[in-house]
Amino acid sequence: MGEFKGTPATGDLTVALSNDELHILINLVEQLLELLGERNFAHHYQSDDPFAQLMAAQLMNMEPLSAPEDPVLNRLLPNAYADPDAADEFRKFTEPRLRQIKQQHLMYLREQLVFPVDHELPKADIFISDAQQWLLALNDLRLALAVRLEVEPDTFEEYELMPDSEPKKSLLAVYFWLGGIQEKLLDHL
Amino acid sequence: MSTETEELSELDLSKFFDRPWVCIVWDDPVNLQSYVTYVFIKLFGFSKEKAHELMMKVHTEGKAVVAAGSREAMENDVQRLHEHGLWATLQRDDHGGV
Repeated sequence: MGEFKGTPATGDLTVALSNDELHILINLVEQLLELLGERNFAHHYQSDDPFAQLMAAQLMNMEPLSAPEDPVLNRLLPNAYADPDAADEFRKFTEPRLRQIKQQHLMYLREQLVFPVDHELPKADIFISDAQQWLLALNDLRLALAVRLEVEPDTFEEYELMPDSEPKKSLLAVYFWLGGIQEKLLDHL
Repeated sequence: MSTETEELSELDLSKFFDRPWVCIVWDDPVNLQSYVTYVFIKLFGFSKEKAHELMMKVHTEGKAVVAAGSREAMENDVQRLHEHGLWATLQRDDHGGV
């Protein structure tokens, strides 16, 4: 499974995914969306009180935004400058948009994946209407998994020697499977 | 006075403050080599050969300068690279000593 057919140029790009694969992907997408949602500061300040709104606007405008503590968020929303002050200053203007773009890609991917699940299809040939959003969402999922699994350059060799009893092994299998999907998608672009 | 002004206006200062900022992509163990090459072609319009060469430079040397220009332009490039999940930063050009 995870086989692609067609190309975006000819408008017939599809991917075949089993029900299990769909569920794994949807689960990962939803977890990452939840994590990215925690980084939305605007909702902390949402209030009907005009004074609170004014204060929130002031806070948002004045304060540099420091890097996320969560390593996954820090990898997806990285510093643009090595200098922390310059990075925080830049981040306050750019991070909200970057986060929204990543959320949009993931929400689009989720929409594509839940259709066959909602219609209880045993397997799906999903028509990919926007290959770029697929590509970028898949990449962000891989980055997020890699941070949590502490992937290093020699992780694949370690994975191959791991006993099946190792709890990390099945998650690493998902990570490498996603890499294979992304590689196959790239071949069709 | 007018002659001097004209002479000054003819001075070519275009190289004087040229390319003071660079955009750097850093190596990471996650992004696929084919993906990084693809992103370089997509964002910077490099040839396949040039994109592959830069990707290999990132991979073997740990980092590579992928663009140079104004601070504003480099900030824009870094944002586009972050959108694509590449690990990128910008800094003042220290004449190839990056």
